[in-house]
Amino acid sequence: MDRRRWLQSLRGLPRRKGPHTGRGDLLRNATRFTLRVLVGLGVTALGFASLIYLGILHYYNLGYAESILPALGQGFLVTLRLVAVVIPLGFALGFFFGWARTTRSLLLRGLGAVYVEVFRGLPPIVLIFFSYLLTTLAILNISRNPFIAGDVALWMGAIALSFHSGAYQTEIIRAGLLSVPTGQIEASEAIGMSRWQTMFRVILPQAFRISLPPLGNEFASVIKDTSLLNVIGWLDLAQIGLLQVSTALKMDFNLVFIIWIEIAMLYFVLTFAVTKVVRFVENRYKVPGLEAAEL
Amino acid sequence: MTMLRLQGIHKSFGKLHVLRGVDLEVNRGDVLCIIGPSGSGKSTLLRCTNLLVYPDRGDIFLEQVRVTTRAVRPEWVRQQIGMVFQQFNLFTHLTALRNVMLGLVVVKRMNPADARSKAELELQRVGLADKKDAYPAQLSGGQQQRVAIARALAMDPRVMLFDEPTSALDPEFIHEVLDVMGRLAKEGMTMVVVTHEMNFAREVADSIIFFDQGQIVERGSPEEIFDRPGHDRTKAFVGKILR
Repeated sequence: MDRRRWLQSLRGLPRRKGPHTGRGDLLRNATRFTLRVLVGLGVTALGFASLIYLGILHYYNLGYAESILPALGQGFLVTLRLVAVVIPLGFALGFFFGWARTTRSLLLRGLGAVYVEVFRGLPPIVLIFFSYLLTTLAILNISRNPFIAGDVALWMGAIALSFHSGAYQTEIIRAGLLSVPTGQIEASEAIGMSRWQTMFRVILPQAFRISLPPLGNEFASVIKDTSLLNVIGWLDLAQIGLLQVSTALKMDFNLVFIIWIEIAMLYFVLTFAVTKVVRFVENRYKVPGLEAAEL
Repeated sequence: MTMLRLQGIHKSFGKLHVLRGVDLEVNRGDVLCIIGPSGSGKSTLLRCTNLLVYPDRGDIFLEQVRVTTRAVRPEWVRQQIGMVFQQFNLFTHLTALRNVMLGLVVVKRMNPADARSKAELELQRVGLADKKDAYPAQLSGGQQQRVAIARALAMDPRVMLFDEPTSALDPEFIHEVLDVMGRLAKEGMTMVVVTHEMNFAREVADSIIFFDQGQIVERGSPEEIFDRPGHDRTKAFVGKILR
């Protein structure tokens, strides 16, 4: 196997020329798979080795690391719930306003522009605080039941974060929609398709292909931004971590590293999983002949 | 019998008066070629014909039926009139077969199995049965344009419009597209072709229109236009092109 082909198999890219069947293909897939397994095993081994090394040096206390896991796990579940709300809601908003900004309607375009400028321009932490406080005040005015107010206001904070993320996604979706040449729309209308059919059958599938990589970027970013929500009282992963740190500081300063490493790993796992899903969808929208050039 | 009739068509884009009163008739089974300098409004005329661009004034009749009224949906008109573009405009995310099938399934509400067999038949007509699973980016320009023709034909149009179908092609691929069009003409399809292929126009066209500055300057048989043009502007244009 020459160097070029070996590099390609490493990157999991299909060869540019020739039929993709037969023994060669199978062999290539096998090589690729073996390489991936080897790299995965290598990284894991390295990680364990370094943890054991740190443990020997008394920097890493495995017993303590285990003892805080249940608490961090609780925080992880809260973060998971936030992500499960913020990403879909942000995407829905981005999708709607991205579409709105490309329509002919002046009203919708204006609305989209204002939405983006406001929610992208204001700091997310301010948005979160304001929506939390205003909701609390509003509900207390009506029901005077502080418990209901607390719950609703907490979720309003999460919704505010969705609006912030949605503003970024609006621009991502808009870029995707604008990347579809007018010729595609003309061709679609020329065979008698209505505007909606054109949208769903021709424009969106092509726009989505372009929008997916930056969308994955935004999802990865907003996962970590959910940690801003603890300023209004969410006991998410980062907040639980902070609480653990404050107790740990009373015992041994080195424990702080253990906590943060664990938090980092949990955020990483979540981000990695989400980007993997995006990658999977990306592959489904791949068009033969339109892959990026192999640089 | 008149298949298509345009009457006093006007169209402006802002201050630019692109079409300045066009009257035009095409009989069933005829091939009409439109020649003229670029920027003269030929493409806009075709786009007005299938209401891709709605004319500001004037009427269009398809088999004696006035289609420029609110009672007729533009989508219906476009379904009756096939169009082939200079830049092919195949749907890049679909295979050749799916490109042809899309209109059948979505617009004609055909069931997918029937649509598939009809699409395969249309691809066979343009000689691309073996390329049905290829994506546009994997096809040559000539092949893409033939798929585009198959896509338009699949809708069983009454008229076919061609907007400079070979202008974006490498010279080696031009003849394969012209061959398909010539065969189509022989089969009796009513066609309006904007083209710079004078040999094609001479051989296939029943009549030729010289179009300039948003108006029909002259209409006649190929011999009349090419060999004894009556108008000075036609003479100048034909002289430039044929040399």
